[in-house]
Amino acid sequence: MSDTTAANDALASLGQGGETDRLSFALVLQLLRRSASMLHPVRGHLALLALGFSLVASIGAFALPLGIAFSNSVLLPNAPTELEAWLLRLPHAWTSLEVLSPDQRMDVAFKVLLTFGIIAAVATPAYLGLYYYLVWILQRVNQVLRVRMLEQLQRLSMRFHSGSRVGDAIYRMIQDSSMVTKLIEVLFIQPVMALGRHIYGLAFVALLDWRIALGMAACWPVYLALGAWGSRPMRVDFRRARETNSDVTSRIQENISAIKVIKAYGAEDALLAKFESDSRTAFDAAFDARYRFAVFNVAVFWVTGAALAIAGGAAALLALDGVPLPAIAAAVGYMAWNFGIFNLLKERFSDGVGSLRAIMKTWANAQNVAIGLDRVYELLDLEPEVQDEAGSTALTGVAGRVRYEDVSFRYQSDRAVLDGVSFEARVGQMTALVGSTGSGKTTVVSLLLRLYDPQQGRILIDDRDLRSLQVKSVRDHVAIALQENWLSGTTIAENIRFAKPDATDEEVRHAAKVAVASEFIEALPAGFDTVLGERGTKLSTGQRQRISIARAILKDTPILVLDEPTAALDAVTEARVLDNLAEWGRERMIFLITHRFGAVRRADQIVVLHEGRVRETGTHDELFAKHGAYRRLVDHETGDSVPPVAAEVAS
Amino acid sequence: MSRVDEGELGLRGTFRLLRRAFDYAAPFKRQFAVKYALALLSLLPLLVLPWPVKIIVDHAIIGTPFGEQPIPYPAMMQPIIEFLSQQTPTGIVLWAVGFQLLLVMICGAVGTSGNERDAADSVLSSGHDIASRTENEANQAFSLTSGLLGLIDWRVMIRLTQSINHHYRTAAFARLQKLPMTTFDDESVGDAVFRVMYDTPSITNGIYRIVIWPFVSVGMGLLLSIALATFFPGHPIFWQTALGVMAVAFLCALPFGGKLRRAHLSARGAGSDATGSLEEGMHNMLAVQSLGAEDGEQKRFDEDSWSSFSEYRGVMAIGMIIFLIGAVPGAALVGWAFYSAIELVVYDQISAGDFGLLITYYLALLFAAITAGGLWIRLQENAAGLHRVFFAMDLPSEEDPPGAPPCPVLRETARLVDVHYTYPDGTPALQNVDLDIHVGRITALVGPAGAGKSTLAYLFPRFIVPQRGCLTFDGADTTGSSLASLRSQVSFVFQETQLFDATVDENIRIGNPDATEAQVRHAAQIAGADAFIRALPKGYHTPLGRGGGRLSVGQRQRVAIARGLVREARILILDEPTSALDPETEQNLVRALREASRERAVVVIAHRLSTIREADEICFVEGGEIIERGSHATLMAREDGAYRRFVELQSQGAA
Repeated sequence: MSDTTAANDALASLGQGGETDRLSFALVLQLLRRSASMLHPVRGHLALLALGFSLVASIGAFALPLGIAFSNSVLLPNAPTELEAWLLRLPHAWTSLEVLSPDQRMDVAFKVLLTFGIIAAVATPAYLGLYYYLVWILQRVNQVLRVRMLEQLQRLSMRFHSGSRVGDAIYRMIQDSSMVTKLIEVLFIQPVMALGRHIYGLAFVALLDWRIALGMAACWPVYLALGAWGSRPMRVDFRRARETNSDVTSRIQENISAIKVIKAYGAEDALLAKFESDSRTAFDAAFDARYRFAVFNVAVFWVTGAALAIAGGAAALLALDGVPLPAIAAAVGYMAWNFGIFNLLKERFSDGVGSLRAIMKTWANAQNVAIGLDRVYELLDLEPEVQDEAGSTALTGVAGRVRYEDVSFRYQSDRAVLDGVSFEARVGQMTALVGSTGSGKTTVVSLLLRLYDPQQGRILIDDRDLRSLQVKSVRDHVAIALQENWLSGTTIAENIRFAKPDATDEEVRHAAKVAVASEFIEALPAGFDTVLGERGTKLSTGQRQRISIARAILKDTPILVLDEPTAALDAVTEARVLDNLAEWGRERMIFLITHRFGAVRRADQIVVLHEGRVRETGTHDELFAKHGAYRRLVDHETGDSVPPVAAEVAS
Repeated sequence: MSRVDEGELGLRGTFRLLRRAFDYAAPFKRQFAVKYALALLSLLPLLVLPWPVKIIVDHAIIGTPFGEQPIPYPAMMQPIIEFLSQQTPTGIVLWAVGFQLLLVMICGAVGTSGNERDAADSVLSSGHDIASRTENEANQAFSLTSGLLGLIDWRVMIRLTQSINHHYRTAAFARLQKLPMTTFDDESVGDAVFRVMYDTPSITNGIYRIVIWPFVSVGMGLLLSIALATFFPGHPIFWQTALGVMAVAFLCALPFGGKLRRAHLSARGAGSDATGSLEEGMHNMLAVQSLGAEDGEQKRFDEDSWSSFSEYRGVMAIGMIIFLIGAVPGAALVGWAFYSAIELVVYDQISAGDFGLLITYYLALLFAAITAGGLWIRLQENAAGLHRVFFAMDLPSEEDPPGAPPCPVLRETARLVDVHYTYPDGTPALQNVDLDIHVGRITALVGPAGAGKSTLAYLFPRFIVPQRGCLTFDGADTTGSSLASLRSQVSFVFQETQLFDATVDENIRIGNPDATEAQVRHAAQIAGADAFIRALPKGYHTPLGRGGGRLSVGQRQRVAIARGLVREARILILDEPTSALDPETEQNLVRALREASRERAVVVIAHRLSTIREADEICFVEGGEIIERGSHATLMAREDGAYRRFVELQSQGAA
């Protein structure tokens, strides 16, 4: 088994982290740092936003002296300081008064309230505007990430997609990716601003009393211990919550997609029970994660609250004794402990400890953010199995031939689906691939499209190895009408335009005509503008097949692949489609996969596959005469080997 | 569903939705009672909290003796006051701090300002669109307090939230499953995902805003108003301004109700579209990759996703405008109250410590007032989600009317009598269809693409209900009989095979979970699937991956046929079962059908002559009518027959 196969077998286990935690403190930080690059494209906006917020914050800075003035000169009758008098436009003489009169205090109060009002009137709308701007920026970042994830999913080979769940992709792209919007908060705002506030508070408290400051610093080790205790189990729980919720999403998606079968086989109750159990599991996992989170936060507050109560008591004792303040505080104008200083200390202490608590809460949330982003990277870091190799060039045209040389391929670790397949197809030829179910016909053309790369052998287009060509350019040269014709819930015209959105109406009509679809389309009430159901289910299978063919024709490529295109068509329609295609495809290379020998006969070359090997190659006449594998298939189809049962069972 | 016109969401409709959400709380009465009790209990700390701080300030720092403060202590505090008045100021501080530490433990609060109080919650990070915010909504829980009491309160509530959500999410999903199959023709799977996952939490959220929040905010408001009137009698300004703020919160938002509902509805619609286009692209990755439509799909998702973000910002902007409009009169009222409180301190009617107490109560009262006043506008947000959930739950479903009798067991003949069917969009599909099928016989439906063959076959398991005519079993009308009893008699193999992400064995068993291993093997053998299944790495227990991804289309078809065979039903319908089969497998299958038809009525829709010829009766369908019927030989004998023409063209193609 080659390395790519091993790698892709590993893909199947994507998103099943289970009970383990592969992150650590360092890895969480590393993950968050790595994600910071996603903010790079919006850094200009962020700088502008930071400028705006600092302007608003500087207006708010006026509020600080106002609060002190309020305590000292309104609640208490003390004289305002020079700064306060200037800020509040109080008469300068008041600063030297022993005691303020009640009327003077009311005057201070009025001016404090008025100033607060003015600050709020300016700052609030500005703040809301800036917040709106912030949301816009964050949404942009999230949007870019979502599209990048989709791009990655589209690059991953079909081998990945057949082993992964649609709901998982939805969950990763909508829920997990949204964690990127928390990066700024987790990486910058909290560590910088909250830590800044903490240090400011600590310094301020130390200025008043070093012992109380020491008490504040004593919270650190306790918080660190809490963080060490809680982070890992939280990560395990958060991951499980995300995985189980993604499972519920998948369950809904899968059951609704398969509703027909569920109904036909009366499996509603059994599947509802499964859904119910998935849903219960998801809620339980969400509970576990949130319970741990809530307990963590309550515990953090126990520490914070105890520190606050003790510091408040200590400050009260100092204030009640009127203990003189250290010289350095006296230099700023504070002489001894009093009610004002008590209030001031409590405020700074509570802000300083409160910001530490905010950091702890953010850290807890960061575990969730990290798990979300980790799941994003799980996807983004997958190496697409099929990708452009270094030095690969674009395919610019198909001049002569496509050659399969000893091509072998297996999907997973199963047996080989193709085993040493070699043949050649030429421009201007129709090559039919025939063989029993599971003989590898569809795989042969899947390799041509590079939906997968073969493990052995090579495919050459005009003597250039497919692997040396850019994937996209190869697919641009091949159009395919799939066996399972999927239509999207838009108009018929848009469905035909699927691979070539800019095609003109004229081109669409022409393609529909070649595919013998224009008659029934035009008979519909809204013609080409008829809106189809989500799964294109308003049309019969035969009709959908023809739209699918028109879609491939519209792409107008040198190579056309028709995978069982006519299986659901009646013989008349089939014959007309094939006639049109033969005419249209004169200068092209057509691959036709079919069981219908009416169609096979028209092929210039027939490749008969059996269990992944090429059994016979030749024209209908050659192979028919040979009495080999091909002849046996034809005989089955026309029923020559089977006794006519109809007459036998007349009773 | 996304394409069905959901109509306008008006005021009356909103009332109806809320009324219904209220009814939905009924099964959870007991849990709500517990939450009520805990909410009441958590209001008490509010009353106690400010006192230690006041005592420290007034009697320790400022040193006013007990009994000399402007406002006497309430009677119930007298024993404590008497005890404290015998303490030194230091003793008072220590006792107060000790009491605070106890409060921290029990209810997570020491004092009055924001940093000194905690409230147990579990709001995790979320993004900036509806979908990514609903995870918090689906698990929401709050408490007014923290500490041990808060944790218990929170725990009770999150379990209540989750029970309600789980209950209605399951109900919504069950309803979706019960919708007629034709509904899903127009339904986006992503939309269904969105409704079940992201719209259902609106039910809990709505219930809380109707049942819990008014209780909490009114209770809190009353309690605080009484406290204010008791401790500071003769100052009605405080409760009056609070009432004014409540009115402001309510009235300023009132003109925006309709706007907000519509904005929310379109934000949810946009979110559902984004989920839809993502789901479609992922589900059909094979088509996307093989047709090189990556860029187009990416562009489509890009647009849908950004529109869901933009619509969400629209909702946010309306909230901001409402806030700004209400902020002006609200701030004026609050400023007035503050000014009055200051007057009380300055003119010595209350102490500085009392001021802190007064403001603490007042701020809490304001919180209650704003919550109560804002409830109406918040409910408008829920209305949108409720509308979407209830809309899906109210679509006409296939459920049996109460007391539907079981359908009689088919013994010999199932008959469609004069059936007419018109698609929901008005296009006629079937006219004058009379058709007998018999146990022991194979009936083939033949005709050009789009003739109505599949639609006709859908009548047997009642996937569709005809506007006229009926289905009888041995002469008894099956109309009105229970759906499950009818469907258990029909096994349907679809043209498009749908396999589940489960093992081969589970996939085959879906129609008959009790089948023995031997029965599963036998069915697989008949369907020509046994050989390749056994060649899979784990044989019958190999997981198939999404949509049976590791099998070829023909192999999937054979698994689907085995599934149809393993179900012991009286009627077996195969819609184009052989289109992707190679001739050899097809012949085996046709022989097997003959075998199966001994105990069943078999209906086969097919284009392939080799399949059709085996039928006992062939019905040629064209334009929604059966225009010819008979055995192959009889129909071939008709010179100008439609079937004969069909066969000749077929052989021309093949010969």
